[in-house]
Amino acid sequence: MKVGIKIMVFVLVLLLSSCVQQTKKQTVTLLLDVKGQKNISKVGVRGNNKPLSWDTDLVMKLRKDGLYAVTFTSETGYTFTEVKFTIDDTFEFQEQSNRRIDFHPSGKTIYKATFNEVK
Amino acid sequence: MKVFKEITQPVILPHWGLDVLLLIPRIVCGYLLTANFGADKFGLPWSPVDANLGFFEVAFWFPNDVADYGGIFAMFPVFFAWMAAFSEAVGGVFLLLGLQTRFTSFLILCTMLGAIFLQQWQQGMWMMLPAMGFLWVSIFYLALGGGRFSVDYLISNKRK
Repeated sequence: MKVGIKIMVFVLVLLLSSCVQQTKKQTVTLLLDVKGQKNISKVGVRGNNKPLSWDTDLVMKLRKDGLYAVTFTSETGYTFTEVKFTIDDTFEFQEQSNRRIDFHPSGKTIYKATFNEVK
Repeated sequence: MKVFKEITQPVILPHWGLDVLLLIPRIVCGYLLTANFGADKFGLPWSPVDANLGFFEVAFWFPNDVADYGGIFAMFPVFFAWMAAFSEAVGGVFLLLGLQTRFTSFLILCTMLGAIFLQQWQQGMWMMLPAMGFLWVSIFYLALGGGRFSVDYLISNKRK
């Protein structure tokens, strides 16, 4: 019986002393160089965690010649996210690993990349 | 005292070889629950570093998923998320060791019923199979206890 009570007390203490993972607001700006790609009608990014998704693009806007950009904010407990850029719904790095973006400790991350090229 | 003894005391099969057979799904399921399914959403020393989980913390996204089930789950999402993740991650260790096997099996059974009917039901039979597998195993151990090769057996024998 004592063992049972000890186990229950141990579990209760852990229950009360821990809870949900802390989250932090992360603002990420993605800059994508698409020079060399022709006849582009749409550039986007897909990835893990909202607002990104692997099914639909988060559309990137043309900032200047050949440079697209998008900024998004998420409330997350992770310290990184994974993405792939798309041009006209075609993924970069097909059958290869995703890009990993480690969040800056300040909560504001700027990530520069060139389409289909390792950073 | 009597209840604790009855819950802990495993059913001993006629031959030790049968208890070895009974041991296999307990170890496999316990390991998979704690190392694979549970560790991703509940903070344990073997949780993936990328999950960024503190000890005994439930992943930030899990209460949101649980709240989407509606009803009482939307009222107490943190409690249900924490219990479900605990049942998998810590319950897996207990199941593997055969420690309080019936109590652990009951927690796992409840978690798997939730996973089947609230999470995977719309995804079809194929997606329900992992949760259903754990559900069947937990029902067996709820009835039989941990068997001859379990911590429960050692505790029960010591108490005689």
